Order: sequence, then structure tokens, then C-alpha cells
Amino acid sequence: MKAQKGQVRVITGNGTAAYAAMLCRPDVVTSYPITPMSEVAEQLSAFHANGILDAEMVEVEGENSAMNVVAAASLTGGRVFTATSSWGLAFMYDAVQQASGFRAPVVMAIANRETPGILAVSGGQQDIVSARDTGWIQIIVEDCQEIFDTIIMAFRLAEDYDIQLPVMVNYDGFYLSYLAQAVEIATQQDIDRFLAPLKRQPQRPKLVPGEPLSCGTHGIEIGFVELRYKHCIAMERATTKLDEIDKKFGEFFGRSYGGQIEEYRTGDAEIIVIASGGAAGTAKTVVDTKRNEGIKVGLIKLRLFRPFPRKRLIEALRGKKAIGVIDRSVCFGWNRGPTYVELRALSPEFGVVPMLSYIDGLANLDITTSHIERVIDETHAAARGKPYQEVTWIPLEE
Amino acid sequence: MAQQEKKKSRIFDYFTEKEEQFAGGVAWCPGCMLELTARFVPKVLGKDIVLVGCPGCSAPVFYGQNLGSWHRLTYYSCLMTGVASSATGISRYFRRIGKDVTIVCFTGDGCAADVGFQPLSGAAERNEHIIYICYDNEGYMNTGYQRSSTTPLGASTSTTPAGISSKGKPTPAKNMPLIMAVHGAAYVATATLSHLEDFAKKLLKAKEKKNEGFVYIHVFSPCNMGWRIESNSSVQVCRMAVRTNYFPLWEAENGKFRLTHETTNPRPIQEFTRQIRKFAHLKEDDINKLQQVVNQKYAFIKALCDIGN
Repeated sequence: MKAQKGQVRVITGNGTAAYAAMLCRPDVVTSYPITPMSEVAEQLSAFHANGILDAEMVEVEGENSAMNVVAAASLTGGRVFTATSSWGLAFMYDAVQQASGFRAPVVMAIANRETPGILAVSGGQQDIVSARDTGWIQIIVEDCQEIFDTIIMAFRLAEDYDIQLPVMVNYDGFYLSYLAQAVEIATQQDIDRFLAPLKRQPQRPKLVPGEPLSCGTHGIEIGFVELRYKHCIAMERATTKLDEIDKKFGEFFGRSYGGQIEEYRTGDAEIIVIASGGAAGTAKTVVDTKRNEGIKVGLIKLRLFRPFPRKRLIEALRGKKAIGVIDRSVCFGWNRGPTYVELRALSPEFGVVPMLSYIDGLANLDITTSHIERVIDETHAAARGKPYQEVTWIPLEE
Repeated sequence: MAQQEKKKSRIFDYFTEKEEQFAGGVAWCPGCMLELTARFVPKVLGKDIVLVGCPGCSAPVFYGQNLGSWHRLTYYSCLMTGVASSATGISRYFRRIGKDVTIVCFTGDGCAADVGFQPLSGAAERNEHIIYICYDNEGYMNTGYQRSSTTPLGASTSTTPAGISSKGKPTPAKNMPLIMAVHGAAYVATATLSHLEDFAKKLLKAKEKKNEGFVYIHVFSPCNMGWRIESNSSVQVCRMAVRTNYFPLWEAENGKFRLTHETTNPRPIQEFTRQIRKFAHLKEDDINKLQQVVNQKYAFIKALCDIGN
């Protein structure tokens, strides 16, 4: 069965996130405005005010409460949605870890933004990097259509009986959050149909008045260890589950994104560039240009950041001659990009080859086509045995 | 007309007829007022309530840390920063599915007045349909008797210890129930264990008023260990707190204040402080300052009550 053709609207990333969330029929929605995602909160409130969004809308007094409201509503049995960015994510840090530890299938959109200093009102992925060990599933998307589709897939993933974990759907703040693109809005009926399999699964455990059941009391001693272990195993399951959901989404809606990673011209590639978010879109055009120049380069768009798509990456990178990794954030204590550091841990399995870390696009600075050309040229040279610099802060070298 | 029987306090019924929700031998200290409050609340509100709590003195029993002695209430545990907000989420979901449930937040003053104050204030302002019960033991008793913003003037705690250059806590307590009342909550009341009938009435009122909006009940709850009082004297300390006007019993229904128990000839504050060793270092002059604080606080609530009359 195929989905009907949806209406195409020119809509911002924030507007898209709100639209997708609304069409997934959440029971409880909350969100505290913060630049650059405030429009998500406004749009959801507008949908609610106009009777389009039939949900409990909670206008909380801060992000910490936003996360507590949705986590508790989720464990009471509801479908929930919230959104935030940067400091907002930092301010809900305790509740974020609690939501995942309690296995609350919250879906949260994040317009990625830098953190330190009040003047860091600018794009960057440092916010989610700082939250990578909170036990959430983290997906990074490239454009507005992917925001829409991924939020729908995120509900299917989070609430799956085998997963029951919260999911962050990340898009570049300032770039995608404010950028209007043509987005095909799937019909309500088709989204209902896509999410329907969740209804046929066993019910999640939930809070029932009068039943002697404690929610969120995470075990002690060996009980605690067991819950931690199960959490880790559920995250492992989320990797292939995302691939399955993405495949089913593709079969039904006609759009798919490769699941954990998207591989672009990687098959016969000698060298690989790795990027995520909007930068991956730019990288695709540069890969095409370089292919025309005769350089056998391919791109891996990292979609799943947590759990880290180890298996898929090893398969895709095995036998490649050099790898250039672009990060829009830093890994403190390593002076490398976080994706780069994580990939290095896998290198014994895909082959010890030159790996180059590029830090670019911090503080709203553009990751331009010429930056990516440089990444490809240097990685290409490294593959041919030329000496190379392991880490490059592109904006500082321009 | 049937012969009128002698009116017996309903309080006895609560203890004889209602099912006990807590096992015996739970891990609270002997003489703990929080324990009596925790046992009493479900007797009045019913066993179908959903409790929401956080780390604190109530936690070891509520969480079931001692697996041998627990309770059988429905319980949601979260962090101190998330009690009123988690209760909001639970309440909103039940509203969404059309289920009438009494949600009861149950925390100490450390959560209510300090680290969990922001979400509490937010929930009160949004007029969420929840009951928030704060057992005020005037400090962080579970972590070793440190001061909180409801610790009274002059009290010696482990972070405001009395010493050569310290007379205990240098500032008076935050008037938490009054702060909650001026949020415009549907119902706010103070209560304590020495006046159980008054407490029970307020709980029943709370259950009714939570259908209109936010309810906050502030329970004066002495801590035998932290305040250094005898384990058999906690109820006496509660009674003396009321008799000295240190802890006046009042309620505010939709912004209308009323004293529910007026003290005739209030006793001097020494009669309260001398039972409690956290005040032992205070000199006459210091006691007089505390008396002034008590007088001012009482005059203020009295004036608010007079507005309505």
C-alpha cells in the first residue's frame, strides 16, 4: 500500500517540526521558547488555539519542567512531544537523564545551537554532543522534509515495545530552523496508518491509580545494574530498528534516508567524507563536483549519533583509503571532533588508514563548498601517502 | 427525631475503619511526624491517589529502598527539581483520557521552598489540578540537618551551626504557605499533627478544591533528629507551635483567608523553643527577636483574615 500524495507547503524547519508533531496526535505537548526553536512552541500553541491540535498543552515556566511534564505524562501512558535548544537542553539535563532511565518514549525536537556565553546565539551541535551520554537516541537530519519524516519515524521508534526510549530529532538551528523549504505534508490518515502498528503491540507499563506500582524508582544494587544493562541492550536494538522503520517509511511514503547512515556514492569510493545535518547536503554537491574531476570520493551522512551506528559504519568504511570527518562541535580533552573520536575507536575494524578531523561551522559560520573541497583534497592526498595534519580548525585557517 | 448521639471525632474512624497503606516497621525515625502525615493522608484522601515524590526523608520508604517494609500506593518518583512538573504531566494525561484522579505531591521544604520551588510556583500559577503537601521539617533533614529557606531565625543547623561568631541561622524562615496563597491557588492551608481534626478537614477540602485548581497544604513537621527533641515529644512540639502562634493554622480558599484555630492567650515563644535543642544556644535577646518575627508573621496573617470579615 502506498500513501496518498500530501500537500506541499513552503515551511520553515521549526514549522515543519510543529506540523509533524501535531499530526502524530500527541496527548501532552509542552515546550518552553528559546532561540532558535521558539517558533515550534508558538506554532504548536497556535494549532492548539485554533482547535487543530487536540492535546493537553502545558505552558511551562522553564525547560526543566517541560521535560518533567512530558516524561511523567509518557509514563502515565500518553504520547508526548516537546522541543528545545542549547541552554534549554542543558537546563533540563537532570530530567533528560531521568526520562531515558525511566524508559519514557518522549520525542523531542532540537534546533541545535552553541552554548557558552549569552552571545553564542548561533548554530552548532555542541548541545547534543554534551548530551550524548544521557541514554537518549539521537538522530540528526539534513533538511526540512527530513525533519517532518523523522519526527514521525521517531514516534514509531521511541514507542516500539522493544525500544521504549526517548528520541531527540536534531536539526541545525538558525539554518534549518528558519529556512523555508518545500515540504510534502503527509495526510493525517496516512500518518495514523504508519503509526498504527504501535497499537497492536503489548502495552507499555504505566502508572495506574490504586495499583501498588512505583514508576521511576530505578532499582538498587543488582536491580539497578540490570536496568542499566537492559537500557544499553535496547539502544543496541534501536540501530537496526531505525533501519527497518526507515525502510517501511520508504515503502509507504516513497522517501527514505538510509536509516542509521545515508551512503552517497560510497560503493566504489576510495576516500570518504563524513558529515551530518545540513552540511551533508552541501557535501553531496561537492562530492559530485570532485567525482567529475576524477576523485573517487563518497559521503557518509551520519544520521544516528546515539546509539553510534558501529556496524553500518564499519561495513561502509572497510577498505577505504582515507577518511575526512567534519564536526560542527568539539570534543573537549581531545581537541578533535566528536564524530572523529568515536570513529577512531572503530578504525581497527575497518582498517587503520589516515583519518582527518575537521572542525567547522561553529558559531553559525558556514561550512562552505570550498571548505568541503579542501577536506576532500586533503583526504585524497593523505590517501596517496602525503603527510597530513590530523586536526584542522577550518575557520581559523582561512 | 432520633436521639442525638454524642458527637465523636471522625478522626477515630480514620484510624479504625480505613485500611493502612504502609507496612509496620518502615524506615522512618522513631517519633517522625512525616511518617504520621504519610500514614494519615491516604486515610483521608483514599488509597487511589497517585503520590509524586522525590529524594528526601520520605524517599527511602516511598521508593521502597527497604524492600522488607513498604507501602501499596501508586507512586511516581522524580528528582527534587521535577515534582510539581511531573505531577502536572500525570494530571494532564488523566484529564486527557477523562479520568478523575487525585494527584498528591508529597515533599519536604527542601524541595517545595528551595530547589523545587520554580516548578511548584509554575504549577500553582497555571492552576494545575493537583494537591501539593509539603511536610516542613525546617531544613534538609535527610542529608544531615542542613538549613533550608524555611529554617527559622536562630536555629542551629549543620550549615548554620551556632558558634563563637554565629547565633545559628541569621535570617527568618520564608513564609512558604503565604507565598503559595498569593499565587491565587484554589486552596492553601497550614496544618499539623497536634490538630488532626483540623488537618483532616483541610485534606477533605483539598480533595474537593483540586477539581477547581491548585491546592497547597503546608504541614509543620518537627524532626526529632535534626531539631534534637525527644522522640515521644513531637506532637507536643506541634501543639506548642500552634499555641505560641509560631505556626498559626489557617486556610485560604480562592484568596479568602481564615484562621481555622484561633489561639486565645498565645504562649511566649520560649515555651516552644525550650523543647528544641536547635535553639538551645539562644540568649534572651535572641529569643526576643524570634518572638518579634512570630508576632509580625501572626499579625500579617491575622490582617489578611480580617480583610474577609
